[in-house]
Amino acid sequence: MGLPDRESGNDRPLLSVVDNDESVRESLPDLLREFGFAARAFSSAEELLRSDYLDQTRCLILDIAMPGMSGPELYQELTRRGYRIPVVFITGQRDETIRARVLEQGAAGFLLKPFTDGALLSVINKALHAT
Amino acid sequence: MANSAESHVVPLENHFPGAPLESILCTEELHRRPSRPPDYEKEKCALVKLVSALADSPGTIFQTLVETILEVTRSDSAGISLLTRDGKTPDLDGKRFYWPAIAGLWKPYIGGGTPRDFGPCGDVMDRNCSLLFRHLERRYTYFPPPINECLLVPFYVEGKAVGTIWALAHDDRRKFDAEDDRVMASLGKFASSAYQALAHIEELKIQVTERKKAEAEVRELARGLEAKVRRLVEANVVGIVMWNLEGAITGANEAFLRMVQYDREDLASGRVRWADLTPPEWRGRAEQAVADLKATGVFRPFEKEYFRKDGSRVPVLLGGALLEGDGNKSVAFALDLSEQKRAERALRRSEAFLAEGQHLGQIGSFSWRVPTDEITWSVELYRIYKLEIGVPVTLELIRTRVHPEDVSLIEKMKMVDLAREGGHDFEWHYRLLMPDDSIKYLHAVAHATRDQDGQLEYIATVQDVTARRLTEEARDKARSELAHVARVMSLGALAASIAHEINQPLSGIVTNANTCLRMLAADPPNVEGARETARRTMRDGNRATDVITRLRGLYSKKDPLPESMDLNEATREVIALSLSQLQRNQVILRQELADDLPLVTGDRVQLQQVILNLIGNATEAMSAVDDRPRELLIRTERDEDDRVRLTVKDVGVGFAPYAADRLFESFYTTKTDGMGIGLSVSRSIIDAHQGHLWAALNDGPGCTFSFAIPRRAECLAGAQIPASRTDLSAEAA
Repeated sequence: MGLPDRESGNDRPLLSVVDNDESVRESLPDLLREFGFAARAFSSAEELLRSDYLDQTRCLILDIAMPGMSGPELYQELTRRGYRIPVVFITGQRDETIRARVLEQGAAGFLLKPFTDGALLSVINKALHAT
Repeated sequence: MANSAESHVVPLENHFPGAPLESILCTEELHRRPSRPPDYEKEKCALVKLVSALADSPGTIFQTLVETILEVTRSDSAGISLLTRDGKTPDLDGKRFYWPAIAGLWKPYIGGGTPRDFGPCGDVMDRNCSLLFRHLERRYTYFPPPINECLLVPFYVEGKAVGTIWALAHDDRRKFDAEDDRVMASLGKFASSAYQALAHIEELKIQVTERKKAEAEVRELARGLEAKVRRLVEANVVGIVMWNLEGAITGANEAFLRMVQYDREDLASGRVRWADLTPPEWRGRAEQAVADLKATGVFRPFEKEYFRKDGSRVPVLLGGALLEGDGNKSVAFALDLSEQKRAERALRRSEAFLAEGQHLGQIGSFSWRVPTDEITWSVELYRIYKLEIGVPVTLELIRTRVHPEDVSLIEKMKMVDLAREGGHDFEWHYRLLMPDDSIKYLHAVAHATRDQDGQLEYIATVQDVTARRLTEEARDKARSELAHVARVMSLGALAASIAHEINQPLSGIVTNANTCLRMLAADPPNVEGARETARRTMRDGNRATDVITRLRGLYSKKDPLPESMDLNEATREVIALSLSQLQRNQVILRQELADDLPLVTGDRVQLQQVILNLIGNATEAMSAVDDRPRELLIRTERDEDDRVRLTVKDVGVGFAPYAADRLFESFYTTKTDGMGIGLSVSRSIIDAHQGHLWAALNDGPGCTFSFAIPRRAECLAGAQIPASRTDLSAEAA
């Protein structure tokens, strides 16, 4: 708490992006910052769990398919640990059952890549205001 | 002169005539002189005595006769002269007379004689009547005097004069008369009988001698024959049995007894009869044999069976003959045919097996005697050609069935002429065009031999390989279709992963572009940030293009061409295409691609299919693994045989050792979904690359799939990787 950089601030909620795809980690945080959020990117679920930013994270943007712990698995783990952070799942897989499944499990949102900035913003806002 | 008998046989050339014949004849005196009264009683007695003597001792009848003449004529000497040739035996063609018997004074001259043409007997024969001579020594000077009177009487056999009987009076005390003539004539008749009797006796003697000789010979022969027959019987080369027509067996040799397993005891007791030995169904034939025996004295050999003592049967060849005698006894030989029957059965069985084997294997056989063009077919070959079994086979007939294209090929290559001259083994694949227009594929293998006359003969088998051929063709077609489908399917899978791959740069592009706009719209504009997003956009755009290029390459319809390619590069592409799948399945990929890997000649797309298959299988195998990282190792390296090897190693569930070979069978799969090409097609592809694909279990969990293909070499320049539609198998040759 109380980091001096642009990445966090009381008026800038922290969004954490977990995706093993480098281009996503490259491009998404910039977009989120343009939205006015603070953003951090992690390359794996494990990295997030190890990090100090977990507690500050106001919303998670998780890739579904990842080596090691997948997005849904991470969500389950967080739930188990008592975290109540809203999660938005992003994926390139076009499989309708996944959407239904994760939403059922309590995901706040689900987006197929590529997604427009508008769609992303709308989903994030919904997630943040749901809590 | 008391000459010996021999000295009175005067050499014909030495005699010389004395007084003329008329001067010594006085036959008329016989009837002029007073005759004493006939003494019939005496005559009868004499004749009776002579006849008895003839019966009792014919050998001395002539002597008895001349004794009788001497007595009855009361002469000084009496004798008998017979025509002879050799001087000892009567012979009607003789030129001499000899005296077989003489009584009285001249007895010492027995055996002597006179010439036919210069002597008193000759005169008698010439005149054909009795003659009375007086002092005949005056003419026939070879006679010793004194001879006063001499009465000679001829005697006849069958009308021919054979000799004379004569009486001599040496002085004139005795003068012969008509009674003497009469009685001499009577005695002459007896002499005829005696002569004939003796001749018959001689003949009989000869006959008896000859008969005796013949009998002796026959006995000798019989003894010899008997010995030989006994030898045969005792040699036991064949069973010999003696029996009578009532059906009793009276004798047998060891061989026969052994055959029927009776012993001598059984025979001797009369327990064994012909009928006991003969099974009921053979009775009729046996009775016919007996009938033949009675009619012709023999029954010719025929086959039948005997019951042995223990009831088992023995096949025999039986022949026999009636023995001389009462026509009731017969001897027969019996030859045991068991061995022969066994051999016949074995031969028939092997013939049946052969025929059956030919039928099962659809293999026919034929022989072709080249000099005579004599062709013999087995039954199965007729069936294969669908020709009537037994029809004579000629080259023309065969030509009606052989496919016209193959016929013209045969003719063009003069194969028949070559075969005629060659005398070498040959092999030949050809087709038949059947009446229903179907095609049969045949494979013939012919072996050249010389038969017993040194003539060239081919013995060949012909197999109908249509089923195999059709199966092969179908299999090849199915394989190529499968490969094609698999290609399409794998392309589908690839396409899915490619689409996914495109998605990554695309979403990057979209995100960056959006970010760029926002940055430029900010106040103040974040130009630096925008530039960065633009850069990223271009980069991702290029990435997407690369993926599309790869995709295009995979979709290309051109037939596989072998090209010189780098397996590492192909592998990297496949890996790139599989990344999302691997990620999705939480597979951790390790690459160990050799730096100095030689180029190979092959079809890029096909090999990539194989690599993709292996990666997919490895991923699948690890899908249930939770207790360890799902590590997938892909390695390329140069092999010890200078081949290029690619290895995919996983830590999955592995496979059962016994399933090692079955993995590569078509349709053998433990997968739950059927996407992508299977190991069977993968193996075909690698085989077509003159390579080898195999699997091995690891020391730890999981297994390792490897393929090795030859490096590109000059000698492969002409090699053809077959198009996927045709035979993918390396043994197509």
